[in-house]
Amino acid sequence: MAALDFLKTAELLKQGAEARVYRAEFLGKPTIVKERFPKRYRHPTLDEKLTHRRTTQEVRSILRCRRAGIRAPVVYFVDYTSHCIFLEEIVGSSTVRDHIASSQQSDSGTEQNLQQLAERVGQILAKMHDEDVIHGDLTTSNMLLRRSQKDGESELVLIDFGLSYISALPEDKGVDLYVLEKAFLSTHPNTEELFEKLLKSYAASSKKSSAVIKKLDEVRLRGRKRSMVG
Amino acid sequence: MDHTQDLELFPGRRVTQMLFKEVKNATELRQSAVDGQISGALINPTMLVDPLQVLVAANKAVHLQTIGKMKTRSLYSEIIFNLSPTNNISEAFKRFGISDGDESVMVVVVHKKDEVQLLSDITARVDGRQVPVEDVSSLSDPAKIKKLYKIAPQEEKCGNLLDAVVCRMATKDVM
Repeated sequence: MAALDFLKTAELLKQGAEARVYRAEFLGKPTIVKERFPKRYRHPTLDEKLTHRRTTQEVRSILRCRRAGIRAPVVYFVDYTSHCIFLEEIVGSSTVRDHIASSQQSDSGTEQNLQQLAERVGQILAKMHDEDVIHGDLTTSNMLLRRSQKDGESELVLIDFGLSYISALPEDKGVDLYVLEKAFLSTHPNTEELFEKLLKSYAASSKKSSAVIKKLDEVRLRGRKRSMVG
Repeated sequence: MDHTQDLELFPGRRVTQMLFKEVKNATELRQSAVDGQISGALINPTMLVDPLQVLVAANKAVHLQTIGKMKTRSLYSEIIFNLSPTNNISEAFKRFGISDGDESVMVVVVHKKDEVQLLSDITARVDGRQVPVEDVSSLSDPAKIKKLYKIAPQEEKCGNLLDAVVCRMATKDVM
């Protein structure tokens, strides 16, 4: 198959349980190719259906985000036979995770910067949830900061919509935020206040936030290793 | 002048775009294309933002041809269809194909590396002045493009017009 042969010459960046991510040049542009390879432990018919569904959901979520003004990579091509998505490579960017980590280490007036960043992340997630897009894998590694070509300001770009889907339920949005909270607090020590700022910004920016925050509180109580007494 | 790009997924095949202005025989060209006489897609350049837009459409067309799942009858009509945001084939031709009396034409040919004769054959049939393909941005009609692709002002915050157009073209089948 064309895409699979092409991938033999591409640079493998990551191999996950679900997909392999490559970098290559495609139509003259730096491109990321996400290949959802067949899972042999699944029944083939089921595997095909699931993989196809995940691919289409990913692509739909990206387009939906972009339509709402949320930065996400441009989709160049989707090969439904090999379940490969060819996406724009966001060059000249670093993850929010690296940014926070290095900011914390250098401690040169970064308190304000981080606060601002948390605010912006809250805003962008509010917008995403208002569009009823659930990211599904919110972590600081899935948020990129890039110098804008337009005005030199830094832009936040969301990536890896592999587990995303469309839902209006506050429960799903609450869980989305919970996933981020867990990832955030475990990756970045002593950032409880920063995350609070993020949530405050989210609540202020989203029209439907109160139901979502309520669900988030409920989910927190439900989480792993929680005493269900009382 | 020409813009040629190899199709990485289809080794040995490439896409060449040629842009012509002051075209005097659009009617004749269109008729020849309809009759299947021209080995190229004749596209209305006012709907094009950048050569990448054509490449994305051509790549998808060649892919679908390779797996036998084209929606239209030929590779060249498929390229035109892929440019369109809708699934209506005749509408795609109307908007993205050339019309009688058009003064500019973008010719797109999918060929092998050594098939340069194909290109000069087609160039010979166009009664117009060839200009660099990059000039296509001066011919684009952004307002018309935004309207047809239904691009809202808020989307322009996350990228340029080309990004919005390409993304829609690539995801048309699942939206």
